[in-house]
Amino acid sequence: MIQINRRIPAATALLFLTFLSTAMAESAVDVETPWIREAPPASTVLAAYMVLRNTGDTARTITGIDSPDFRDGQIHRTVVEDGVAKMLPVEQLQLPAAGSVVLEPGGLHLMLFDPRRPLREGDSVILIIHDSDGDSVTVHAPVVRKTGGHDHSHHH
Amino acid sequence: MSNSPKSAFILKGVIIIILATAAGIMSARFFLQRTVVEDELAATRFPVAREIQAFELVDHNNTVFDNAALEKRWSFLFFGYTYCPDVCPTTLSVLNSIAQRLQDVDADIRFVMVTVDPERDTPERLAEFVTYFNGDFLGVTGTDQGLEQLTRQLGILYERVQPEPGSEAYLMDHTAAVFLFDPDGRYHAVFSPPLSVEAIAGDFRKMLQAYQ
Repeated sequence: MIQINRRIPAATALLFLTFLSTAMAESAVDVETPWIREAPPASTVLAAYMVLRNTGDTARTITGIDSPDFRDGQIHRTVVEDGVAKMLPVEQLQLPAAGSVVLEPGGLHLMLFDPRRPLREGDSVILIIHDSDGDSVTVHAPVVRKTGGHDHSHHH
Repeated sequence: MSNSPKSAFILKGVIIIILATAAGIMSARFFLQRTVVEDELAATRFPVAREIQAFELVDHNNTVFDNAALEKRWSFLFFGYTYCPDVCPTTLSVLNSIAQRLQDVDADIRFVMVTVDPERDTPERLAEFVTYFNGDFLGVTGTDQGLEQLTRQLGILYERVQPEPGSEAYLMDHTAAVFLFDPDGRYHAVFSPPLSVEAIAGDFRKMLQAYQ
């Protein structure tokens, strides 16, 4: 009895690991270099950037995002038409098989509304990216201060 | 003896030809040099800087920002709003990089963000937003009329966009260019997107040299 009891935690752990690796294998979308732009304290709208990579051999469609750290999130694309900058909501973001899409300043980005807590450089937020197959990827994105000047430098 | 007036006439002719040639070469050089400068600029610079009609706005210290505020220094103006998560922070970062690059320049330069969303952008809110990027940046707001007085002269467009029907939040479409005013308070040049730190800082040095 004692021996069997001892084995239960190990078996549970093994089962959990198997489940975890299966879940990870199923998600064909990889997220690389995610980051959120630190904003002035009173800002209620922030932007997140990353590279979305489809590691599968079938096309995927990203349908939305949510985050426990924000009230709401949308995929947006900044375009400049006749010198006028506009942000257009993107309902569906196509990820071709074995292809990737870059979200970067001045282009595609995740627009995040109403942070639930003050977010400063060094903090990390959770973003959940959903696709049309019902799969989702959870990302931990660091908050990064980018103001021109002395970014990426820790010399003062 | 009849040679004397004739040789004087020839001499005069030769002098005129030499002078004309010299003048031609000099003006051609001047013209060519100017052309080279213009061709090298990423900015659109006007042959003659444009006068700006009267306008009145207010800066983030609640000080009047009008034509006189543009004088005696170079001013880079950008038109944006603080509820803007992508374009405006990116542009202000670019402007800060330009400010860092031009630190050695012997000229008074100011960077200003004029809000196209005066309804939400109070002087306090603007102050916090622009100084986050650089403590010397200035935010400007004002009445709708004051904003129109300035923007229509510069051909700036802005429009409110509702992302979701019934939603309280809204976005603004707005001209993304950066406008340069010279110390005479005149509209000197405009930089259209995509904005490059290197190109704008480099162009500014050339324009400053041409201005002095």
